[in-house]
Amino acid sequence: MTAIRLGFRLGRWGLLGFSVLAFASSFIQAVAFYQIAGHSPAQRAAFGQSMAQLASQLTFILAPPSGLDTVGGYVEWRSFGGLAILFGVWALVSGSGAARGDEERGLVEAVLATGLTRSRWLASRVTGYALASFVAALASGLALVAGAAGGGESVSLRPVIEISVALAALGLSCYALTLLIAQLTGARIATAAAGVVLLILFLINRLSQTFTWLASWRWLSPFHYYELNQPLAPGGAFDVRATLTMLGIALVAAAAAGAVFESRDLGAPFVRWPSRHRPAGYEPSGAPLWRIPVVRALYERRAGLSMWAAGLAAVSVLFVYLTKTVIQPLLSFPALSQFFGGFVGGQLYTSFLGYFWLSLAQLLFAGFAIAQVARWSAEDADGRLELILSTPRSRASVVVERAIALTLGAAIVAAVSGVAVAVAAHYQAMNVSGERLAEGTLLLVPFALVFAAAGAVLASWNPRAAVGLLGGLAFASYLVDELGPLFRWPTWVQDLSAFKLFGSPLSTGIDRSGLAIMVAIILVGFAVSILLMERRDIGA
Amino acid sequence: MHGAYMLREMAVSAIRTSKLSKDYGVGRGLFELDLEVGSQEVFGYLGPNGAGKTTTIRLLMGMIRPTGGAAYVFGLDCRRDSVAVKRRVGYLPGEMPQFGSLRGKEVVAYLGGMRGGTDPKVVRSIAERFDLDLNRRFREYSSGNKRKLGLLLAFMHRPDLLILDEPTSGLDPLNQQEFYELLREARAAGATVFLSSHVLSEVEQICDTVGILRAGKLVRVARLQELRDAGETSLEEIFLSYYSETDHHQKALPE
Repeated sequence: MTAIRLGFRLGRWGLLGFSVLAFASSFIQAVAFYQIAGHSPAQRAAFGQSMAQLASQLTFILAPPSGLDTVGGYVEWRSFGGLAILFGVWALVSGSGAARGDEERGLVEAVLATGLTRSRWLASRVTGYALASFVAALASGLALVAGAAGGGESVSLRPVIEISVALAALGLSCYALTLLIAQLTGARIATAAAGVVLLILFLINRLSQTFTWLASWRWLSPFHYYELNQPLAPGGAFDVRATLTMLGIALVAAAAAGAVFESRDLGAPFVRWPSRHRPAGYEPSGAPLWRIPVVRALYERRAGLSMWAAGLAAVSVLFVYLTKTVIQPLLSFPALSQFFGGFVGGQLYTSFLGYFWLSLAQLLFAGFAIAQVARWSAEDADGRLELILSTPRSRASVVVERAIALTLGAAIVAAVSGVAVAVAAHYQAMNVSGERLAEGTLLLVPFALVFAAAGAVLASWNPRAAVGLLGGLAFASYLVDELGPLFRWPTWVQDLSAFKLFGSPLSTGIDRSGLAIMVAIILVGFAVSILLMERRDIGA
Repeated sequence: MHGAYMLREMAVSAIRTSKLSKDYGVGRGLFELDLEVGSQEVFGYLGPNGAGKTTTIRLLMGMIRPTGGAAYVFGLDCRRDSVAVKRRVGYLPGEMPQFGSLRGKEVVAYLGGMRGGTDPKVVRSIAERFDLDLNRRFREYSSGNKRKLGLLLAFMHRPDLLILDEPTSGLDPLNQQEFYELLREARAAGATVFLSSHVLSEVEQICDTVGILRAGKLVRVARLQELRDAGETSLEEIFLSYYSETDHHQKALPE
């Protein structure tokens, strides 16, 4: 019981954060439904039809919905569909932290020294996460009840609990799979390896809607079993068998993780690759890159940058193929082709690519910036910044070097993904404006820098809270962009969102006022960061 | 000209603090520290956990801001002239930070590149003396090897002042002796050393002067030779005489 309490306590911030996110997500969607869906049955039916059309274009990321003319069906699609991804990410971060992060910190060794067995320790972490994910999922369900009550309707508690159980079961199965993969690999690559596996499982399920040959592999994915549950939509049902399958996956993966954990050395991976013997060396590295400011920062994180560039390039190519697959059938209807042609000024592929690819690229570049800010915070917390500042460098120069290195890093990642899009579009015989593509891709750099500048201020002010606060800021920015037009918020409020400032560069070109605001935010943000950095105690 | 410069340098204290304070509240911190460490001196800074040793060191390095007073290194203000100060200082923090998968030689090149003026021959010489394999990744290093790397980073540019926070913590006896030898050589070459330690026998062996800190206040500064000449009791007894049972159980400071 003590171990379970400890496991629960270790994940309390995750529980709090994801509960708030899950609640906010469902509540906002429920409230939005009553704002935009109308009140008469005819208005609701028209709304449901238009949303169904939108949903058919988003099947690469969200499950096909039903009952979109009801609050239950709408929230099930818009909120619980997205929460499946969010809970997958939570499970990944929490699972790899429990399996290897705590081990790296020495926590597992200290706990095992008290006499607790490895299996019981792992079981306590699984139980702690299971409780936390159910609480967070239930928060989302209760938000739907509250949102519906605000709209003068009532939602039965039974389907709310059913969807919460299904969402928690999905999170738990992802968590257990992460635990298992993290036991097999080295601590350094545990998160990346588990992330790749979960992403593949997600894509197998989602892309099987587009690429039918993937359908025969769908049974492997816990996301598939989650989507079989649609208790909130009229006519939908809670699939007991699918939910039990998810719990079965969790049980088997957790048991396998326990068995692997029992048989490996602490701090070592289960699968060891033979290491090449390297003679001892006493010379410093002779690479001249270490002596050049900014370049040394990029060289130091060359592995991470390469992964970001390769990952984004792969996602970009995938989205080019998806765009082609979605648009091609539409063009077979002459009337639709004419309509779209007039609507987007002939740049059909460019516009749809902008919608599909750049929307995701924005999220990924926000993630890229947050990852860099997390690194700055870690440098402060683990004493690395102190050692850097023990060299004859000013604090301002450290902030400036960080900013320039991030700019160049983002530019490299953006350029690689832009080239990948151009090449893939060329091979798909898609007519994409090269100029617009280059502009849109390069605009991702100031977009990332907006988050980096905000992160630099937070990291200089309070490094320990910086990542959480910046994540919240990015989420709020995304919500403002999503909800602003729905609720007809004033333009200045919508302009607070970096996503709004980014605009639609592939369709309409660069929004120069948006770019100017972004540049202003970047300059002010880094200037404030320098001022705060000069005044604060390092490591405090 | 060179001789005049040397004389002026000798006249300026390597470290001087005036009413230097860092108040963390509820009686914790460092209070009105007046300290002077002469050029080419080896100064041992003693005190139990939480007495304020690391706070002093971090104030000297300009990592934290004083709440009162000032600190000077070679006559330069530790806050205002921190870049110039750090050009002349070699620093070993109390705990080595994480450098993950970087190899030892990359960490040296990374921080050496930031500092400039590092001689690869000096690096090689120190690494060989400590038998520190710079081809290995940082995360593969034992705590002792991490300490050795920290010492290498502090000594590699032949600084005028070495500020070392518990330098021998985690080192085996053979490497401790190697460190003492390195320290003697640095001093013979004109360097000043300011080190904190818990090991009284070590301080007795290598230091010229000791300062004893108690609850954030400097309670005694003494030259070891004078203590020996005056036939005073051992450093251990002097140190313990400043600590009653109650003091020993005082809460640790945020160092």
